[in-house]
Amino acid sequence: MKRGTKLDVLRFVMLVIVGIAMLVPFVWMVSASFKTRAEVEDVRIVPQRPTIQNYPIVLDMKPDPVTGKYLGLRFGRWYFNSVMIATCVTVLQVLTSAMAAFAFARLRWKWRDKVFILYIATMMIPGVVTMIPNFQIMVTLQFLNTYHGLIIPAAFSAFGTFLLRQFMLSIPPALDEAARIDGARSGTIFWDVILPLARPGLVALAILTFLGTYQSFYWPLIMLNQDQFYPMGVGLLALDSTYGRQTELIMAATVMNIVPMIMVFAIFQKHLVKGLQLGGVKG
Amino acid sequence: MKAFFIGAAALALLLYGIAQGTLSRPPDDGIIRMRWATDPNPARVTQLSRFSQMFPHLEVTVDPGLGGDQTKLIVQCATGTGPAIIDIYDHIQMASLVDAGVLLDLTPFAKQMGFDPSRTFESVRDQLMIDGRQYRFPCNIATSNLLYNKRVFDRLGVPYPSDDVTFDELIQIGKALRRAARERRERVIPLADMNFIVLLIAHGGQFFQQDGLYSSFDSEAAIAAMQMRFDLMHKHGVIPTSVEAATVSTQGGWGGDSLTWFSGDRAAMILIGRWYTIQLPQYPGLAERLGVTGLPRVPGLLRMSPIQTRAAGINRNSPYWREALNFLVYLASPEYSELIVADGDGIPPSPLVAQTGADLVNRFLPNAELQQAFLDATINARNTNLSSFIENGLVNRLMWEAQGFVDNRIKTPRQALTDLADEIERRIDLNLERRPDLQERFRRVTGMEWSRDWRRKIPKQRYELAGRKPEEGPTYWERAAAP
Repeated sequence: MKRGTKLDVLRFVMLVIVGIAMLVPFVWMVSASFKTRAEVEDVRIVPQRPTIQNYPIVLDMKPDPVTGKYLGLRFGRWYFNSVMIATCVTVLQVLTSAMAAFAFARLRWKWRDKVFILYIATMMIPGVVTMIPNFQIMVTLQFLNTYHGLIIPAAFSAFGTFLLRQFMLSIPPALDEAARIDGARSGTIFWDVILPLARPGLVALAILTFLGTYQSFYWPLIMLNQDQFYPMGVGLLALDSTYGRQTELIMAATVMNIVPMIMVFAIFQKHLVKGLQLGGVKG
Repeated sequence: MKAFFIGAAALALLLYGIAQGTLSRPPDDGIIRMRWATDPNPARVTQLSRFSQMFPHLEVTVDPGLGGDQTKLIVQCATGTGPAIIDIYDHIQMASLVDAGVLLDLTPFAKQMGFDPSRTFESVRDQLMIDGRQYRFPCNIATSNLLYNKRVFDRLGVPYPSDDVTFDELIQIGKALRRAARERRERVIPLADMNFIVLLIAHGGQFFQQDGLYSSFDSEAAIAAMQMRFDLMHKHGVIPTSVEAATVSTQGGWGGDSLTWFSGDRAAMILIGRWYTIQLPQYPGLAERLGVTGLPRVPGLLRMSPIQTRAAGINRNSPYWREALNFLVYLASPEYSELIVADGDGIPPSPLVAQTGADLVNRFLPNAELQQAFLDATINARNTNLSSFIENGLVNRLMWEAQGFVDNRIKTPRQALTDLADEIERRIDLNLERRPDLQERFRRVTGMEWSRDWRRKIPKQRYELAGRKPEEGPTYWERAAAP
């Protein structure tokens, strides 16, 4: 066997091992969602007595066998809330980040680069540090227990601005100059020249934002006190109470919860990879 | 591109509109609506509807947090938007919330409204108080018992623990179970776990001397307790090492592993309270094969076990603190305690409803004798004490760290606990040096002015051992230490 082929085989084996290691927790999660409480702690992946009863229990179509009571989970509502909040945040964040990135990458103004450094420096501050001040602002604005309390603070992103700025820097400046010679103003250049060319970056940011918001937990947990506003992550806390952790129900709920994320990723993964690669070309 | 953005924005607006349009708004019916920071388990629905029946002008809704994580509570209370009623899971958390100025001093209202400490079990009363002031009232009480799975014992042909089980007997049983399981090529854990706090209390130890100025972690009782944990784990194989635990477990988190090992016939014994019984319907046949006894005791000492209470306090900054006091009236009522009996959620707060095991019988465990064992665990039950001179969450953290050092053979029990006591006393000194309020407290506690060299003037007392049984003579470590 040639040396190159041997290396390829070795690389392939390594990748398979890493792939399996990454896949096992996911497979375990799906398998646990079909197990009974008595079996859920078992290390065996394949359930001995598979059951689908965890799904109707989570969907409030059957009572919980432990308490004999319906769990009262508003799964449909929480699902909708998660998707709605993620969609709104994604649209707003992509738009605001693109506008800011355009200003930082394509327009010339005094102290532009210094302001940009200040802006991205906010990424270095841990979220926990700003949690109480941010929360206080939300209280003052009377945003507690509202959807906009979750959407508006997430509508602006230093990371998104940074990602799209890098992307826009890679677009040749001759294009805007030609447009300006033709009489185009900054708004037209932004919408009709730069944004179409920055599409891979926009798609990458949209996917990352949607997935990140869909999974967000701490901010909604702190901002919300009424279950009708909960996204899925906060709602699932109901399965982790002092009565004990209902692992099989949590897994059933999680399997249903991650379906939109997997769909988004599966459909757009090519754009995500391409967007991130192109965004890293120019500094 | 413009069209795409407009389309996406329209979709987002449509979803937002649907979400807003389908929200239910509280009716303007004059009812005061308060929040209760607790875990959102299904039993709360019945508990809250019974409260509304008792107080029709008040409504309480559950405001879930993240288990033991207090971030939500702290952030909300710091901005004056915290819930009116707060579940407090232990006296250490209570002390933190009192220090932070969150909890209302209930003392002026408790006697008159009927939720003073005399309305609950004697063994938890001190956990409701700090410096003689009451700050909470129990929602339920958690004791510890030794539960054993008769199916495992029968299968391995090992006799059950006796009603007066000692640590010596526990070790013999554990060894016999290991041996029998090995012969049958089975993997059975004799006892799911036994942490240092349980052992410390069983050995008559404590966290602090009474004045709170000296740590008692370096007492002979505490060192014997930690040595017992080390021996149970590494010498006798009665409790699993962390490696062994990981090999039989797929699930993380406190309690989760142990419960499922025990219920799934992989652990023969577990230390747990009455609240476990709610899990029994999930494991067919287990209720009939369940054995319950008290925690093992040290020869020479009484049987002593830990007791804790999940108890509710009132947020003093809530606009509804006065109305929220009615919730504590409800918790002290027999009606509430009857719900706890029926749901199996620990021991009810009112002793009037739980005088004998027969009173505790419910659909989960209809055996009055076993229920009596849970009730007996409230006798001689104790909790660890606190010090006003150090942040008690920190003490807890340092203590678990010390347990980790011993479990992983990094330090000997004596070395780990001596270092722990030294570290705690060093931090107490630091706090005293920095905080005039603690210096004032020092003056009240000791009757003398604080000075940097106070430890020379007030030497460490010889630790008083709790629960001594004089007829049984000295304990094993006292005999070992004798000249």
